[in-house]
Amino acid sequence: MRSTYSDCVVIGLGCPFLSDDSIGPRVIRELAAGMEESWRLVESHAGGLLLLEELAGAKRAIIVDALLDSRRTPGEVVVAGIYGSSQNAACGHDCTLLQALTIGRAMGLDLPTDMNIHLVAVVADDVTTFAENLSPRVASALPEACRIVRSLAQGHLFANKEAA
Amino acid sequence: MTRRITIDPITRLEGHGKIEIFLDDAGDVSSAYFQIPELRGFESFCVGRHAEEMANITNRICGVCPEAHHMAAAKAVDAAFGVPCLPAARRIRELIYMAFFVTDHTTHFYCLGGPDFIVGPDAPASERNILGVIRKVGVDIGLQVINCRKRNHELIKRLGGRGVHLCGALPGGWSVALSEEMRRDFLHCAKENIDFARFSLKTFDDIVLKDQAYLDLMFSDLYRHETHSMGTVDAGMAPNFYEGRIRVVDTLGNEVALYDPKDYLSHIAEHVEPWSYLKFPYLKKFGWNGFVDGQESGIYHATPLARLNVADRMATPLAQAEFERFFDTFGARGKAANGRNLPVHQRLATHWARLIELLYAAERMQELLEHPEICDPAVRQVVEAQAGIGIGSVEAPRGTLTHHYETDVRGVLTKVNLIVGTTNNNAPISLSVMKAAKGLIKGGVFSDGILNQVEMAFRLYDPCCSCATHALGKAPLEVNLRAVDGSLLDQQVRG
Repeated sequence: MRSTYSDCVVIGLGCPFLSDDSIGPRVIRELAAGMEESWRLVESHAGGLLLLEELAGAKRAIIVDALLDSRRTPGEVVVAGIYGSSQNAACGHDCTLLQALTIGRAMGLDLPTDMNIHLVAVVADDVTTFAENLSPRVASALPEACRIVRSLAQGHLFANKEAA
Repeated sequence: MTRRITIDPITRLEGHGKIEIFLDDAGDVSSAYFQIPELRGFESFCVGRHAEEMANITNRICGVCPEAHHMAAAKAVDAAFGVPCLPAARRIRELIYMAFFVTDHTTHFYCLGGPDFIVGPDAPASERNILGVIRKVGVDIGLQVINCRKRNHELIKRLGGRGVHLCGALPGGWSVALSEEMRRDFLHCAKENIDFARFSLKTFDDIVLKDQAYLDLMFSDLYRHETHSMGTVDAGMAPNFYEGRIRVVDTLGNEVALYDPKDYLSHIAEHVEPWSYLKFPYLKKFGWNGFVDGQESGIYHATPLARLNVADRMATPLAQAEFERFFDTFGARGKAANGRNLPVHQRLATHWARLIELLYAAERMQELLEHPEICDPAVRQVVEAQAGIGIGSVEAPRGTLTHHYETDVRGVLTKVNLIVGTTNNNAPISLSVMKAAKGLIKGGVFSDGILNQVEMAFRLYDPCCSCATHALGKAPLEVNLRAVDGSLLDQQVRG
């Protein structure tokens, strides 16, 4: 049975003004524009405990982020589990997302299980230039990233795209 | 032959930073540098935009202190457009800002600085974090930390529109008024914050002040620097994080400057080093005399400790009692030649000062919420864009934050300059790293515990490299140990 939208939070990580780093917020804005269901959509550039607070209360979570990986081609969309979480999901000010989840569970917070946290990452070309536009290859991946997020929110898994 | 140690990324530091330590032929430290590798030209990116956008652009620079940038930007725009903020809106801004201070200082104590004391400076790196703290002192404290953050972020979200990258500021006002229902809820929150701050101070007492080894460490010369101190004060010379004048006291406690934030360029200049993208602000009155401390040096710090040093008192009663106890502990209360407190130069005392500020912020929230006019619905006004210069300043948790904007007649930005808290502390951080490295690394002998004690020298500043360089999403720190020829001898990478 498919899950309902309402118990799913989609978090777009990144700075909206930093070229491809903005892919997370851009996906959130695309989803918000066509949203027919009560998804909880969050734009954020925060990791660790702040991210934990956004996950609280959700049964499933999808984190969308830019990925720096020289082995992959910019624009490639990668779906990974929580253990593939990016640096953006960590906060140097407090802890990593995995540590935050450990803390949250020890505190009895209502959090999604590891299996129900997905990372949708788009391989970035440029995350160092202040600009509001995506690089061409990442821009072309935006529809695919949105499609994957929608599918994941409906309960479909993409095991064949699991990150290394 | 010189050898070189690099610490990169720095454990538990926001943003990407690096410590480079060079050893001489005897294996002793010849030099050490704190570096932030990235430069992103954020100010240039902002020129050409409408000034009123800045509060919602700068608050996306990083996820650690968006509230500080939001408030400084709002104040700079108010000034550029020549519009005083409406009274109720000003109180709402400060209320949100105090809630932010509570969360930020709480996080630093329990997640960043505290682990060195609670878990121990020599504990394995994997244990020196919030999880290690919880294992050491119990789940209940962890729950209190989580709950403290949650209730204050909820306040920020209800009044600021978003929990992290808030968006409530308008030129001359705020987007939403405080309802009576919210006021009641937030008063409860403020009282819980006061209890939590007192609990945190007691925890510091029990774990640090009652432990002779930690006291010895705090009083040791290893973490001591005599630099000038900077902070924002109100008319009664008490610290104020949202507004006031900038006060600078010298190493002996004498006031050497008291100025409106808009006059910062008359007092502050910036030194440039070829090995760092981040500039080194210094006091013009003394000039740049290199990386040295002392009365003749131009180096100052702008930290919780500095803010206590520049203050004559605290503006709230419980924080005042802690302020007096703090200076008594160091034998400094009323001991300056002018009758002021002698500045405390033991940098590890910054952790204690941070907790006193936490208590002040919580008490200040209660004061603001009990003000009879805070629920005044008049929080928005019509504002006309104009050509102007606007300088907005707040005390960020990690130092004085200044936004400087210049606009044309359309309200479009023609100039943007930001001096963030960590930038103010760049030179003292470098001093502290150098001193700790020289004191701890001898004969080429070092360990993970020793390198962590070097990190402690700068972690107490609560630096945020994201803000300082506008770099995002990088792993936090690296320590490299290098020989004279630059070859890498050892590397500690902390994620």
